[in-house]
Amino acid sequence: MSEYRQARYPRHLLIEEHSKERMVEENPLPESIARKEAPLIPDVPEYEVARHFTRLSQMNYGIDTGFYPLGSCTMKYNPKYTEMLAKEPKATGVHPLQPEEDIQGCLRIMYELQRMLAEIGGMSEVTLQPAAGAQGEMTGLAIVHEYHKNNGNDRTEVVLPDTAHGTNPATAAMLGYKTIEIPSDDGCVDLKALEEAVGEDTAAFMLTNPNTLGIFEEDVLEIADIVHDAGALLYYDGANLNAIMGKSNPGAMNFDIMHFNLHKTFSSPHGGGGPGSGPVGVCEKLRSYLPVPIVTKKNDRYHLDHSLENTIGRVKGFYGNWSVLLRTYAYLVYQGKEGLEKSAERAVLNSNYLRKLLEDHLELPYRSLRKHEFVLSGKRLKDKGLKTVDLAKRLADHGYHAPTIYFPLIVEEALMIEPTETERKETLDNFADTVKKILDEDPEIVKSAPHNTAVKRVDETKAAKKPVVSFRMRGR
Amino acid sequence: MGETEEMLEYLDIDEIDELFIDVPETVRTDLKLPEGKSEMETVRSVRKVLNENRALDEKACFLGAGIYDHYVPAVVFEIIGRSEFYTSYTPYQAEVSQGMLQALFEYQSLVCELTGMEAANTSMYDHPTALAEAVLMAGRIGKRRRSKFLLPKNIHRDKEQVLKNYLRGTDISLVEVAYDEVKGTIDREDFKEKIDDETLGFYVESPNFFGVLEEDMQFFADMKEDTKAVSVAGIHPLALTLMEPPSSWSADIAVGDSQPLGIPPSFGGTTVGIFACSGRKIRRMPGRMIGETEDMDGNKAYCMTLQTREQHIRRERATSNICTNQALMALASAVHCFALGGKGLEDIARENYEKAHEVARKIDQISGFKAPMFEGEFFNEFTVELPGDIHDELNKDKNILPGLAIGGDTERFSELEPTLLTAVTEKCSEEDIDRLIDFLKEVGE
Repeated sequence: MSEYRQARYPRHLLIEEHSKERMVEENPLPESIARKEAPLIPDVPEYEVARHFTRLSQMNYGIDTGFYPLGSCTMKYNPKYTEMLAKEPKATGVHPLQPEEDIQGCLRIMYELQRMLAEIGGMSEVTLQPAAGAQGEMTGLAIVHEYHKNNGNDRTEVVLPDTAHGTNPATAAMLGYKTIEIPSDDGCVDLKALEEAVGEDTAAFMLTNPNTLGIFEEDVLEIADIVHDAGALLYYDGANLNAIMGKSNPGAMNFDIMHFNLHKTFSSPHGGGGPGSGPVGVCEKLRSYLPVPIVTKKNDRYHLDHSLENTIGRVKGFYGNWSVLLRTYAYLVYQGKEGLEKSAERAVLNSNYLRKLLEDHLELPYRSLRKHEFVLSGKRLKDKGLKTVDLAKRLADHGYHAPTIYFPLIVEEALMIEPTETERKETLDNFADTVKKILDEDPEIVKSAPHNTAVKRVDETKAAKKPVVSFRMRGR
Repeated sequence: MGETEEMLEYLDIDEIDELFIDVPETVRTDLKLPEGKSEMETVRSVRKVLNENRALDEKACFLGAGIYDHYVPAVVFEIIGRSEFYTSYTPYQAEVSQGMLQALFEYQSLVCELTGMEAANTSMYDHPTALAEAVLMAGRIGKRRRSKFLLPKNIHRDKEQVLKNYLRGTDISLVEVAYDEVKGTIDREDFKEKIDDETLGFYVESPNFFGVLEEDMQFFADMKEDTKAVSVAGIHPLALTLMEPPSSWSADIAVGDSQPLGIPPSFGGTTVGIFACSGRKIRRMPGRMIGETEDMDGNKAYCMTLQTREQHIRRERATSNICTNQALMALASAVHCFALGGKGLEDIARENYEKAHEVARKIDQISGFKAPMFEGEFFNEFTVELPGDIHDELNKDKNILPGLAIGGDTERFSELEPTLLTAVTEKCSEEDIDRLIDFLKEVGE
């Protein structure tokens, strides 16, 4: 259980250190639009820039730094061959508007990826256009919207369980739907509540399975029947797909639409917040609604096909986050059938193993068998005057990233832990030992944690009170 | 005993499948995928497919229309290739993420310097989605009971399609504004006719799809003042080193794509949607923002701020559903700006301008061609009037990409005669330019 020390460097912005106000000279533009005062961007030697950002990187924690048990985020190891391939000139140096004969490599990769994802999701067709999971949800609900419109009924509501990811209600609201949240029963969808909630106004029910508690919704086929009987569509949030690859798929569970999170399930890096990719799969009856273009194959040539009859049009410029698609393609070529099945199995094994190591020390609400993740309650910490956030921050001192905290909302002082398949037993043992040790520690040390990171506990309230989000806003 | 067996034993089960007893037989499936490969075989086979592409380095490239082939200094790839950055998650845990947080704060600062706005977020997906979010934001900050949004016709048509999907849930309706048939700028008479006291907001893009720059921003400032509509400016970040920023005509929101700053064409993805606005409107913005603050010892620190606008807290009342964005690419743009420096960026912008004007002059001298076709001032992209319908011949030389075919029988601006949209960057060599001119002479005959 090694203590961790993050680098600490003096903090300055490149802009504040080196910039001088300067006028633009010899501007070729017409006087009316020619810029007079140059933007405040410093001119410093490249080696200073390299040093500045290298030092910043040393004040940042990634998966390559250590264990990242961040629930619902699937922070698995990002294999390096995918990074290498994504940097190839034949991958980066391609323009989206080149003639089709120039881009056969890109199109073939996209076509094969569409097919592989369709197989993994049990869907009929897939669009690779959405840039992230939330945009996948938006695409999916736009399809829902168009489908009901074409069938002549204006449905106004989207139903979701109270364990749903925040993006679900946010997306539904963005598309103008009223959201109806139904309470869970013992950590799962309450079928009676669902039956009461759905009706002729219901456009869709959004669900992830396993759900955000890590519990597999065993009644999923009954759920599908209830939703379909009401004439609504069933949407699958793919954030938790890592748990079931090779065991089941959303198509088999009678979902109509789903999104994939390539930056979760398929190992493409999170990049400090993005780019991700959120392809959307649909069942056969919704195929013609997908955004265009999709890639089709004819006589061994690949084409950008704009001909889908009921298409919702575009959700993003060009064809999606190509560099993420390429990484995922390489990952799937490498893993193959067995690799994906093994990933799901090991992810679930790791999760249950760690769950059992911890369940006697922090409370485990609901049943014990979990899939890829589990949620503990930190309410016992209150006895020592602590909160879940304190435990999370203290973990950093030991070189661990915090779990997801305070989500899902139905668990008090929640800690959501997803170890993923790319961790060995020793790491899980050490992590559990660290948690136990922190629970026995002097609460004052925990409350004032972290101590070994680049900065101490950050005052987020102050940041929000009088926001400064640029150098310019400091009021120079 | 292997570690899997030890873990199974600890869980008191014999095999892993017992962990899946809660997945009913009725939903069980099999995966029909090929066998996996070794790393060596994977790299070999993916490379083989990539080799079916013809990359831009093998060609003289004059293709733009939203994606531009600029040179990216090697240091950009080195920095974004640091795994402390690229393998990190969204910096919710501020204490362990100061590096990415500060880097993104510096990106926001650069966007603000370029646009003259006070606040910027850490990115939207791309320019079309940034525009869509801007129109939604106009709905939040604009005058109540207004629903008309003016969208000029001289923008990339993909943007309109994206916008329509984002506006499904609102009562905002798009009203098209014509372009000036001679200059390619917004038709001011048409704009004046369509803007009124019912207008929620309007969009002005400069350079627009035709590469043309608006030259009278005072007109739009006055229109905004008269009608109290929300003004959204479409910008090009490199051109902004030479152009007056949107703040100069008091635009409310600025959107664009920072792909020209440090991001290779990458088949159109991944780019970065730029989103900036005035400081007073900051609480109505979509997306993540990094703010400055202190740690408990009073040391400078950064964190994600105003998170109560976001989906993970506000859920159905969030300003947007966006969660994952394009953060690493925003970092690439920041490193690019610093590596080239303010003066360096400005020099490249000037070089782009001059080369593009040189190419336009040379094309204009070829018999039957006219460049620029739209006569408004331009930055590094312009339209070319062709001598008849020679669209089919534009791709016949495998070594040259003369630009994008628009007008004629294409689906883009079919009201125009067959036209070529040509972009020139600092990467176009004199030899490339000679090849383009020779090629156009040949196909124009």
